[in-house]
Amino acid sequence: MRRRSLLKAATAALVVSAIGHGAAFAANPVLKIGFVGVTSGPAAAWGISNQRSMETRADWINETGGYKIGDVTYDIEIVSFDDQKDPKRAIAGMEKMAQEGIHYVVGPNVDDGAAAVRPVAEKSGIIYFPYAFPKSLYVAPASNAILGMIANYQSGPAIYQYLKDKKGIKTIAFVAANESDPLSQRDGGIAAAEALGLKVVSANATYQVDTTDFTPVLTPVVQTQPDLLVLSGVSPANAPQLIRSARELGFQGLISTETAQDAQVLSEGAGELANGFISVGGASTAELASDTMKEFVDRYTKKFGEYNDESNTKVYALEYILETLKANPAAIDNVEEFKKTMDTFSAPNPFMKGDAQLSYVGTTSFGQRRQIAVPLVVNVYQDGKFETMFVAKVD
Amino acid sequence: MKDLSMEQILANGVYLGSQYAMIALGLTLIFALMNVLNFAHGQMYVIGGFITYTFYGQLGVPFVLALLMSCITLAILGALIERYLFNPVIKRSARDESTMLLAAGIAFLLDALILLIFGEKQHGVPKIINGVFNYEFRLIIPYDRILVCLMAILSIAIFICFMQFSKTGRALRALAQDRVAAQLMGVNVDRYSMIGFALGAMLAGLVGGLLVTITGINLGMGGPTSVKAFMMVMIGGAGVISGAIAGGFILGMLEAVGLAVLSQYGDITYLLIFVSLMIFLAIRPHGLMGKPWG
Amino acid sequence: MKSISTKQLVGVAVFLFAIFVAVPVAIFVTGRFDFFFTLTSVALLSIASAGVWLTFHIGRINIGQGAFALIGAYVSAILVTKAGINFWLTLPLAGIFAAGVAVLIGLPILRLRGVYFAMITLVLTEVVRLTALALPITNGAKGIVSIPLPMELSAFGLTIIPDFSTLANTKLAFYYVACALMVVCFGAMYRLVHSRLGHLCRSMQQNEELASSIGVNITYIRIIIFAISSFLGGVGGAMFGAIAQSVYPSSFQVADSVNFMLNCFLGGLGYVFGPMLGTLVLYFGWDLLFELGKYQMLVYSSIMILLMRFLPNGLLSLTFPKRRNAKSAAVPFKSAQEERSR
Repeated sequence: MRRRSLLKAATAALVVSAIGHGAAFAANPVLKIGFVGVTSGPAAAWGISNQRSMETRADWINETGGYKIGDVTYDIEIVSFDDQKDPKRAIAGMEKMAQEGIHYVVGPNVDDGAAAVRPVAEKSGIIYFPYAFPKSLYVAPASNAILGMIANYQSGPAIYQYLKDKKGIKTIAFVAANESDPLSQRDGGIAAAEALGLKVVSANATYQVDTTDFTPVLTPVVQTQPDLLVLSGVSPANAPQLIRSARELGFQGLISTETAQDAQVLSEGAGELANGFISVGGASTAELASDTMKEFVDRYTKKFGEYNDESNTKVYALEYILETLKANPAAIDNVEEFKKTMDTFSAPNPFMKGDAQLSYVGTTSFGQRRQIAVPLVVNVYQDGKFETMFVAKVD
Repeated sequence: MKDLSMEQILANGVYLGSQYAMIALGLTLIFALMNVLNFAHGQMYVIGGFITYTFYGQLGVPFVLALLMSCITLAILGALIERYLFNPVIKRSARDESTMLLAAGIAFLLDALILLIFGEKQHGVPKIINGVFNYEFRLIIPYDRILVCLMAILSIAIFICFMQFSKTGRALRALAQDRVAAQLMGVNVDRYSMIGFALGAMLAGLVGGLLVTITGINLGMGGPTSVKAFMMVMIGGAGVISGAIAGGFILGMLEAVGLAVLSQYGDITYLLIFVSLMIFLAIRPHGLMGKPWG
Repeated sequence: MKSISTKQLVGVAVFLFAIFVAVPVAIFVTGRFDFFFTLTSVALLSIASAGVWLTFHIGRINIGQGAFALIGAYVSAILVTKAGINFWLTLPLAGIFAAGVAVLIGLPILRLRGVYFAMITLVLTEVVRLTALALPITNGAKGIVSIPLPMELSAFGLTIIPDFSTLANTKLAFYYVACALMVVCFGAMYRLVHSRLGHLCRSMQQNEELASSIGVNITYIRIIIFAISSFLGGVGGAMFGAIAQSVYPSSFQVADSVNFMLNCFLGGLGYVFGPMLGTLVLYFGWDLLFELGKYQMLVYSSIMILLMRFLPNGLLSLTFPKRRNAKSAAVPFKSAQEERSR
């Protein structure tokens, strides 16, 4: 059994070095906030924009003396775990968060991960903020998940309604990757479009996530000549290629999606062909962003080299956690207090101009307040940047 | 619904096929020489794409030169990997398949390096030529695709000529056919294994550089590209150059035709494509022209 | 089968003591409760990897275990949620169903060898994922969620396994169940490999034609081994579904299939306990490197490469150097091929 003891010794050494790591901060007590999501592999962009938003904000807070909750000023430390988009790893990540004594976790980024961590989160008293849309995560008896963005079944109808009224669209087509998240979003989109009286002319075109050439996929779809082509749940990497293929095939109508996108990726991947592309974002555009938001973008860019527009939405989760804790300091290690505060919580939105408020919403969709109120900003891409098309609210 | 024109389907198939064939070529070359299933092939493709992106897209170097940079970098990388990793492991391991773990490790490592160096975002470069070829809406192909398709076919032709007529090519073919006999005939096995691996990696880099102009590049493309390349190699027959080319064109056609014909079945299009692939392999256990030992 | 020596018996006893007593105690003492889940995963994944190892034993590279794990997870989840059957009964059913599928698919595809078999099983993983997405009974893209915890299992009024929803520490319970399954699985594997069937497998690994010519029914053995392998995959997958209380088409995918195979390589293809050690190192290693943040993958893959560079025959080749000679005489099924590369 020498091999086992050798292994154990190595393990012990690693664990010790791991534990020794966290004690670098000095002055303030440390408040740890977790992140469990995908930061490697094909979907890395989703998780990395999350993680970097959180780290940027945490560094900023720590630099300016920490964050005051009740009578104590805390330094914020972000503990992140890469789940490799694997639900099994996501559970391990959530266990790790529980081990670190963390009660507030941002992520996971996808449906299966969010569903898989639920037992652990509820057992360990962790509130988590998934970027996944299945209603079963947020409707009672589930109670520990808070949707971190706007769901497609909320933004989709708003976009379709607007385009129906303003641009007179009558027919609609959907394209989705054959994975859980995009397919669920597509089905939600179809239901919403039909409820509005739009004619769905093509809905069953799907593509493998690893597709690099979308012309064969889109050729039959484009031939149905829809007024609006919806790229359901499209990943930022695929969006420019899909747009480019559709336009090169001679598609003249509108193209939209209900997920957040990045302007630079669109401009590099599709150039001016992406003009007019409709997507959903946070307070990204110049007319909406507050000075705080602009400084956040500056700091992010300085820290990581380039900004990611997806972070316009992802900057919010950490802010909500901290603001809610400030409103009720007892919640710092008691999520039941947090849940109580959620029903009444309200604070000014630092990232948006004007008097926008942070609050918890979702009563219409989930029957309880289990969603953060991010402004529903519908953007249009034009020559390398997003312009605001309209702003709406979710309740 | 209007039917797709036959011309369009064929054009889509030829275009897809030419790029697939090029990806498969490098993989099959390495497999033929060393019996290594290179899981890192897709990552090499991605690196090639990112290098062209950096030089052509960021620094404004002429496209052809950037492409050359991709080729050279990957050839060096490939040679180093063969010399210091695959070669010693193959010599010492009891079962050839053990190199699969090494290949997978290299794939993970390259993925990690790509993420650290080039970031997580999708990147693209300006088009090399603008405009779309449109024949009465029956056949629509952007000009840059035609160009890339032609360049791919040209590269394949050059590669075949190289393998057929140059001294190095002959040595490589001898090596692939019978390693021991080649050694007995005075072929420096270690040296040519390294050259072969470098050549295979270079091909991956070349396709990456070519395709970045059409599809752009991101770090997630690596793994799936490898898997797709395996499929083509299996269809054509492992370790056979002509098989890889055939496999590439067949998979390209299969996708183009499949997506057009089966589009009314929607979600299960790819399911049907994969199932038919399995049935094909079950009927022809060595692909189209593979050697029986696989 | 040769009788078990005292030394081996002591080894087994020490191992059992370690996983059932020492590790839980160590976890309670150090307070690292997150290791329960990690080690539970290791136990379950090593069961599935053991299946892959078994197919290696008949000279087949199996990259399709993810498919059978997914099938197992779905069978169990559907039986529990739609038919209300006790989870503990669905566990063997999931394995048997996976084995049944393996027999059907195995008949045509087991004729393939080498990389062709590897490839077709890889495609199989994707086929099963896409099937799960398309079928109504699997609930398609939405997956099966909110699966209840395992119920009580009793026989003759005696509680064998208590109702998990009443337990205070489900983590510990899952850990024990997973370890028990693992011990049974590897015990059976050891017995199998040292039985007559095991010897026949090894003869096939070296040369199928030769084995066939001396009267070994290779078709039959291939199917049996592949079915056992898939049974293990199905059981491992079903157990995971119960822990996550949800199953999605992406619960087991190509990456998992590849990992199961890598676990076998890392542990060593010549050793029954290879997959167990391989899984422990690969899966646990990733968790331990968690503190490295963005360099986690870099360090993880570098270690993997170094291990392979210096121990190409697996980790266990380090401790049993004597066995190497015996093994190199009994090398792979691609013996003709092997000769070429020497």
